[in-house]
Amino acid sequence: MKVVLRIALGIIAAIGGFVDIGDVVFNTQAGAQFGYELLWAVPIGVVGITVYAEMSGRVAAVTRRPVFDVIRTRLGLPTGLVVLVASLFVNVLTLSAEIGGVALVLQLFFDAPFTLFALLGALGMVTIIWFTPFEGLERLFGYLGLALFVFVAAALHEHPDWHSVGGGFVPEAKSSTLYWYFVVGLIAAALMPYEVYFYSSGAVEERWTPNDLLVNRLNAVVGYGIGGLLSLGLMVAAAQMFAPAGVVPDHLGTVPLLAQIPYGEAGLVLALLGMLFAIGGAAVDASFAASYSIAQFAGWEWGKYRRPSGAPRFTLAWLVFFALGLGILMTGIDPLELTEYSVVLSVVALPLTYIPVLLIARDRTFMGEHANGPVARVLGWLYMVILVVVAVAAIPLLLATNAGGG
Amino acid sequence: MRCVVQIVVLAACLLCAGCGPLDRGELSRGVETLSAVAAESQLVADGVAQDRTRATYTRVHARTLAEDAAHEAEKLADASVAPGIERQRDRAVAIAQRLDDTIGTMETHPGDERAGVQVHKELTGIADDLDQLGQRLVQGL
Repeated sequence: MKVVLRIALGIIAAIGGFVDIGDVVFNTQAGAQFGYELLWAVPIGVVGITVYAEMSGRVAAVTRRPVFDVIRTRLGLPTGLVVLVASLFVNVLTLSAEIGGVALVLQLFFDAPFTLFALLGALGMVTIIWFTPFEGLERLFGYLGLALFVFVAAALHEHPDWHSVGGGFVPEAKSSTLYWYFVVGLIAAALMPYEVYFYSSGAVEERWTPNDLLVNRLNAVVGYGIGGLLSLGLMVAAAQMFAPAGVVPDHLGTVPLLAQIPYGEAGLVLALLGMLFAIGGAAVDASFAASYSIAQFAGWEWGKYRRPSGAPRFTLAWLVFFALGLGILMTGIDPLELTEYSVVLSVVALPLTYIPVLLIARDRTFMGEHANGPVARVLGWLYMVILVVVAVAAIPLLLATNAGGG
Repeated sequence: MRCVVQIVVLAACLLCAGCGPLDRGELSRGVETLSAVAAESQLVADGVAQDRTRATYTRVHARTLAEDAAHEAEKLADASVAPGIERQRDRAVAIAQRLDDTIGTMETHPGDERAGVQVHKELTGIADDLDQLGQRLVQGL
């Protein structure tokens, strides 16, 4: 039971990172438009984030240094500053989109003006974060977000054609730019930098030591594995229920239909609850990731395990980021468009985020006997190549497909 | 300097792309968008007809879908049209307005099973009309 409770960090990082507002819609759109053809992109993202989360958690456990600390050390102050500014920009956009997602789900539950729910949602999350310890946040958002498993159940309930599902895991070379836009988006969304900022800082918050390396590995594999399974569930369910009907899911409110069709009102409520907590968890991830980054870069006291008075600038930072996120939302921008742009823009920062992690995780002077072994080394470099390709392709594909609009 | 000029020209081309009159392909895409809205609305109406959904969810989501239909109707109605497809454009606008009105019924009666059945029936008719219009556009009729 203790081990189950200790993998909560991986679960919240994965639920918040994999199945945030953008992913929920993106995976559903992929299934609705391409059937099972894009399933292969999900495991590529899952293995990538598992490899790098495990590395960043291991570095944090052995050296007590989270990712942004490592970035500053390895890349130097000027490059580190560029990464900081870029990551803060993307994190605030993401946070804004997630607050918008929470507001949209609350609206689907209670029907009141969006701006009111955006305000109440942001205030509610700030209150929860203020009064709940780090472990409590992980468990609240991570475990309640697991209600999203209703989509996996829905996919199974509709009896998928397993032969076609299996075929979806074999990559196909297609000439459609929209197809490649989705491939890049699915891989990038799985590897959003804020996930490792949050994960590695969370490892420090939980005071991991080299004795916790098994827990780290379990967190990375089980947590991100669950995130990947949920992504696959959404895509398979959409391929079965939306693709034949000709539905193009452009709204967050379309997604719960996947659970309502097989399970009626109970399925609908479970889907909405899962989305509320998963997207809320993503808001926590994004706000903390931004605050961790700036605090670690500037050398401030940081950590949720400290009282607000013990880390005042860190506390002020996440409060300010919430206010900024809410402010952006109040301009009337569509949260879904916002998250789509934040995913694609963050792709450009991917190599800069992950290369320092890879370099320090293989460095025996820092890591001693816990440095990367042959498997982590090969996978690390393989994924670095994938990240560079994805980073180069992202912006042209965004423009060529009119941000997925075709 | 030459590079900057090239980037500016490229950006201007991208911005101007699609600025001309509405052609057959763009009208087809508009009809496809309306078909997708009709298909999704049928799923929502099905939930209402079978009493397998929540009234609040139906009301909010139906409002969003009706806005999509109304937005598409306005977009098509406001566009200048390439010669030869004026009638098809007008037909698409008329269907989009019918779609908006029909989905609006669900917004007003989100918990009424009989209304759900009726809306579903009307949406099936609208989907058929859109299908026919789409096929005629593809065939160049």
